[in-house]
Amino acid sequence: MQQTPSSSTELSALEKVIAFVDERVGLKTIQAKMLNEPVPGGSRWAYVFGSILLFIFIMQAVTGILLMFYYVPTADHAFASTQYIIHEVDYGWFLLSYHFWGSTAMVVCVFAHMSQVFLWGAYKSPRELIWLVGLALFGIVMGFGFTGYLLPWDQRAYWATTVGVEIMDKTPVIGDFMARFLKGGAIPGQMTLSRFFVVHVMILPAALMGLAGLHIFLFRAAGPAGPFRGTPEEIKAKTDYFFPRQIWKDIVGMITVFFTICALAFWEPVVLLEEATPDPGDYHPEPEWYFLFLFQLLRLKMFGGEFGQFLGAIALPGAFMALLAALPFIDKDPERNIFKRPIALIGWIVVMAMILLFTVAAIINREFLD
Amino acid sequence: MARDIQEHVSQYTETHQDEVMMQPKLKTKVRATDREIGEVSKVIVDPLSHEISHIVVSMNGSGERQVAMTFVQSVTDNLVELRAAAGDILELPPFKRDDFVTTHEVEIAHLEERVHVMPGEVLVPFPELEKSVKRRTFFMNFTHVIGFLIGLPIAFPVLRYLMKPMYSPFDNGWLKIGNVSKIKHDDIGVQFKYKRKVKEAYMPEAEIEKNVWVLKVTPAVLEKVYQGKDMEFKDAFGKTVWTNKKDFPFVAFSGKCPHLGCGYKWRQHKVLGQVFLCPCHLSIYDASGKVLDGPAPRALDSLPIKVSATGEVEIIDMEFKAGTKTQIRII
Repeated sequence: MQQTPSSSTELSALEKVIAFVDERVGLKTIQAKMLNEPVPGGSRWAYVFGSILLFIFIMQAVTGILLMFYYVPTADHAFASTQYIIHEVDYGWFLLSYHFWGSTAMVVCVFAHMSQVFLWGAYKSPRELIWLVGLALFGIVMGFGFTGYLLPWDQRAYWATTVGVEIMDKTPVIGDFMARFLKGGAIPGQMTLSRFFVVHVMILPAALMGLAGLHIFLFRAAGPAGPFRGTPEEIKAKTDYFFPRQIWKDIVGMITVFFTICALAFWEPVVLLEEATPDPGDYHPEPEWYFLFLFQLLRLKMFGGEFGQFLGAIALPGAFMALLAALPFIDKDPERNIFKRPIALIGWIVVMAMILLFTVAAIINREFLD
Repeated sequence: MARDIQEHVSQYTETHQDEVMMQPKLKTKVRATDREIGEVSKVIVDPLSHEISHIVVSMNGSGERQVAMTFVQSVTDNLVELRAAAGDILELPPFKRDDFVTTHEVEIAHLEERVHVMPGEVLVPFPELEKSVKRRTFFMNFTHVIGFLIGLPIAFPVLRYLMKPMYSPFDNGWLKIGNVSKIKHDDIGVQFKYKRKVKEAYMPEAEIEKNVWVLKVTPAVLEKVYQGKDMEFKDAFGKTVWTNKKDFPFVAFSGKCPHLGCGYKWRQHKVLGQVFLCPCHLSIYDASGKVLDGPAPRALDSLPIKVSATGEVEIIDMEFKAGTKTQIRII
């Protein structure tokens, strides 16, 4: 039980304020509950990605809000206002580039986080719901990448969106409606920009905040999974609280990511192409690197033609996501040790290898185009 | 019996008002004036004062009785002594668990700090007004119905609101894009860039850059484009707006790749010679627009074209949905 100090004679003014709030809100209990979470088997570097993602999201929200001070989401001013941020506003280039590289860091860490959970078998019962909400969050992160890409309204933005929405159009029955709904018309224009802007700065952040909250709530309700090997005695002996060891590791991870993003923003700042227009000129459209494998996949002849395209662009990624969602319900074996789950291990290696292979192939292909 | 209790209450309040009694622990033995009668199985907390108002005594196999704290003489760590005889306690009506909820099921602030009887069930009485509510499920469902009644009437307007710009009529106006004198050789793709005025909703009129590929083709290629038939172009209602004659030597291809909508180029290919190549997904087309290689589902889209006596090329700027085997016009 938390005891609130009753005598205030030796307390400083700040302590009094804290005691006042604590008495009414139970601040210390909340803090204790947040920090005193037993981590079975002790803290690990492998567990840092969730916290890092939360950190990246907060930074994306902060830099995103700052960008909105100058950015104008209209077809006639989006490009100019982005150029203004880059060239005229003090440190505008840095904040924009931080936001850009932050999104890349987000995708990298999402892959790392999902891989960790997958390899550790942490999606298994009773953590199925955490995994499902996590998949929804993955979709939201991808949605952020896709919608944010259009906002600078340069050629890269325009063509990534044109092709991306055409892909969505290939969904059976509702594809045409979805594509028009998203574009706000038959071809990308002001309505598309408005829609992507609202989705990027209002809908997705709200969805992400809600679902991330749910994700953490469910995680706390189920408790951390802990390591995948070791006897209960060994795991118990190594168990410690979330604070201080895990938080220390998390914070080291955060600062590493922070400086990496800063360095990338500094040495590889965002440079815009020509303003968006339906004539690509000499530009060879290409999506953001994390969509490159899908882009390369669609170059294959087997994914050509009307049906092939549906297969490659909709059915295959859809089936893959459905498989991930069904995973904890199919894979009911309580074994979590990845070295005793050959199908899972091989599956993970194959998927990662394919993504890498197709991404590299797409990069190599660039040279043959000029 | 009821009067007895009433008497006890007044007696208790008179004599023990200032005495602070220890809270009875769960599982402690309960002794009446004459003998031991069971153990404390639950305690009941007053939701407003946060004080324990009753204990529930498990009567050694004779069910449970709810005993007011006013009946309690003394509480120690392992014994609760009552100020009534075992017979009187047994006469109390059986404890009704359904009249209570556990403290986990209600939101009573700071309750945990006041009650020190754990572990076990700490109960809070179900409010009197609640007990008379018969149709709880009905009210629950009715609440949902009202929620629907709020949501339903706005669903359609919201949908229509968002759908406003999605469908617009086709523009069948002719656009001047340049002069045929630009074309020096037969069967060679020549890009004509042109500016098109667009007026979108509230936006000021703007110009966007677009392009089409125009070719002066030899009869062999022309045959491949039109396959011996005139090509008709229709408006949204299926009415023909223009017909490209099968023997007219100029053809225009929409600049949009029919695979996924990128812009393609006229390029030298190592094996296939001069071709249209889309840099996105590497679809390759010959001068007649036919797919030679790559994932494209159909040939390049021919556009309505006419050439004036002075060589001015005019087209109707149509766009077709990418990725489909058949042409589906979208603008």
